[in-house]
Amino acid sequence: MSGQTNLQEQSREERFLREKFSDFYSRAPITVRSLEKREFGFGGWDKKIEFRHISETSEPNLRARLVRDAPLYVSHSVAYYEFPDARPMTKKNWLSSDLIFDLDADGSACGNKCGKFTCQKCLDAVKQDAIKLIEEFLVPDFGFSRDEMSVNFSGSRGYHVHVFSESVAQLDREARREIADYIGGVGLDFGRLFWNEGKKFLGPSPTQGGFGGKFARAFVSKLSDDSFAISIARKLKKPEERAKLISAIERGNYDNVGIANREKKLFDNFEKMRLTMAGRIDSNVTADTSKLIRMQNSLHGGSGMLAKSVKSLDSFEPMRQAPVFGNTPLKIKASEAVPALNICDYSFGPIPAGETRELPVHSAVYLLCKKAAALA
Amino acid sequence: MADLAFCAHYPFSSAAKKYVSERGLELTSLLLEKAEDRVRDAISSGKIRKVPKLAESQEEELALYAISRMIVSSANNRYLINRYAVAEGKKTSDYLSGEDSGREDYLSEAASEFGMVFESAGKAGKYLVPLAKYLQYTPRSVDYKLSNREVSAGKVIVNRHERNRIIEEAVKKKMENELPIRGEFTPEVKEAAKRLLALLPKLEAPVLRLGQENYPPCIVKLLEELSMNINLPHTARVALGIYLIKAGMADAKIVELFRSAPDFSEKTTAYQIAHLRAKGYSMPACSTMDSYGICMADCRCGTPLNFRAGLHGKRLTHESEGRK
Repeated sequence: MSGQTNLQEQSREERFLREKFSDFYSRAPITVRSLEKREFGFGGWDKKIEFRHISETSEPNLRARLVRDAPLYVSHSVAYYEFPDARPMTKKNWLSSDLIFDLDADGSACGNKCGKFTCQKCLDAVKQDAIKLIEEFLVPDFGFSRDEMSVNFSGSRGYHVHVFSESVAQLDREARREIADYIGGVGLDFGRLFWNEGKKFLGPSPTQGGFGGKFARAFVSKLSDDSFAISIARKLKKPEERAKLISAIERGNYDNVGIANREKKLFDNFEKMRLTMAGRIDSNVTADTSKLIRMQNSLHGGSGMLAKSVKSLDSFEPMRQAPVFGNTPLKIKASEAVPALNICDYSFGPIPAGETRELPVHSAVYLLCKKAAALA
Repeated sequence: MADLAFCAHYPFSSAAKKYVSERGLELTSLLLEKAEDRVRDAISSGKIRKVPKLAESQEEELALYAISRMIVSSANNRYLINRYAVAEGKKTSDYLSGEDSGREDYLSEAASEFGMVFESAGKAGKYLVPLAKYLQYTPRSVDYKLSNREVSAGKVIVNRHERNRIIEEAVKKKMENELPIRGEFTPEVKEAAKRLLALLPKLEAPVLRLGQENYPPCIVKLLEELSMNINLPHTARVALGIYLIKAGMADAKIVELFRSAPDFSEKTTAYQIAHLRAKGYSMPACSTMDSYGICMADCRCGTPLNFRAGLHGKRLTHESEGRK
């Protein structure tokens, strides 16, 4: 089966992009763990997965296929199978799966203004989500080490975090969903974190694991803020009262200072602290042990950018580091209004629909992949 | 020298297996009869009686365990196997919380069968379980919801009771996975299996006859996805299966619907649907559907089975229009 559709049916733009992609794959690094045990899926102009149930035996063979077929999307299973190309799914004989977290910019950071041309604000927000996922959940709570994790830019507007830990490779869908639920705080019952023991009102201490500990740490740290402390209880204006409360919380005691409407106040603050990542990761992706996910360092057909492996999230700038196609000029005609954009430090736009521009090829490819322009 | 009491209480352990393989096993009619009783108790009351503290009885228990497994395997009925597995698990936790409650050495050895080590959490009666084992061997219930647990550095804190419960679940799963064992069984074993099969309750849940117009949005969506050859997650399939059973659809028809799943296997699907029906699982509540990520609308019907187009459908259309 060939990934290449009939040439006659391809538009000029698709042919152009496939040529660029093919050329890219002839020299791109390909790094897939246990490549021969993965199922591959390839996509084209209309669908991200057009062909699947494909296996490859080696890196050179995969490369040859990518150069020949120049798919616009390259995905592989998060699973390792004995027979990756067998059908139906059960015949593949599932061996294990990487644990995956999928983060996507949902447009909420800019109030849904950017649409398909994901803006810097949204890209920054999703990057912060990825950092939070790793620094506040994967490492401290789940105990994954950084060398059993890899982070990829999705190539468009999000990140994929892969965990290769043997300890979780065998987990089934429901167990994986439980992990995703934890991160999103699904089923979290705040009331369970606190209880009465005799006259005492006890709760989590800062050294504790889980959301209890997260809350206690955040609460103690916020108490150093005067207005916050006073909002909890007037008495806390005095530093010595505050110190007393903090040291009580360190022993899991929350009633050292009289707090009016205590439960509600604590709960409202828990909500405000945004300690969970509710709605920030796609739990269906985490739960799906046979998901096809974009291959690291492959091109994303919806942006022409690289699904780049990211070593340091802090310093990663997708619109600067993920485009790969250089700056030879290329003429395109906008088929819809294009907003002001900055790709690889080149600012252009806005471009009104119907207007022609000469752009560096990385920016032109971006617009062609977005289906927002045609070759002029 | 093997500890006979340990072997008798935890007959699934490698120590017990070794003991039996060294001594050999003789299949007498008396043992067979006792084993049949043992399985009957397991499936009728969900319990397996404890063994008297006599070397003779303990040794006998090892034989009864082995023969029970043969009978259950010969019956080769999922419902029976699962009932039996539950009882073996329950028996294990009864020992751990009962007469063996002081025997930390027994607990460690039983846990090690499942590659588990329970470290002390530094507080009396609190233990650390590795995250993956916790997820594998705790029931999916509110009490064990990971979101409400102390999770740190890849470990989850559990109390003594929960620790025993985890081992119980591990034993149950082991039985479910191992059984039926393959082999040719003697005519006596086969006869015993037949008698037990005849005891199985006829589980016919009262059926609602719900027409398609009353399928809620979540079920409609799952059916649509299924017909589009989308690989539904396990939880979604289970929910859909239960719903269709409760809505009064025949097994064969449900199996037909699943035919479009990319990994469809007629045998597996038929088996799973029959299993769902036999077990009489109740329909996941809307909140559970939501946590599975398959709740599609705010119908406020409590469970998808309560959905009636005339009642919730109207509100739904009305509200979604209101939102625009």
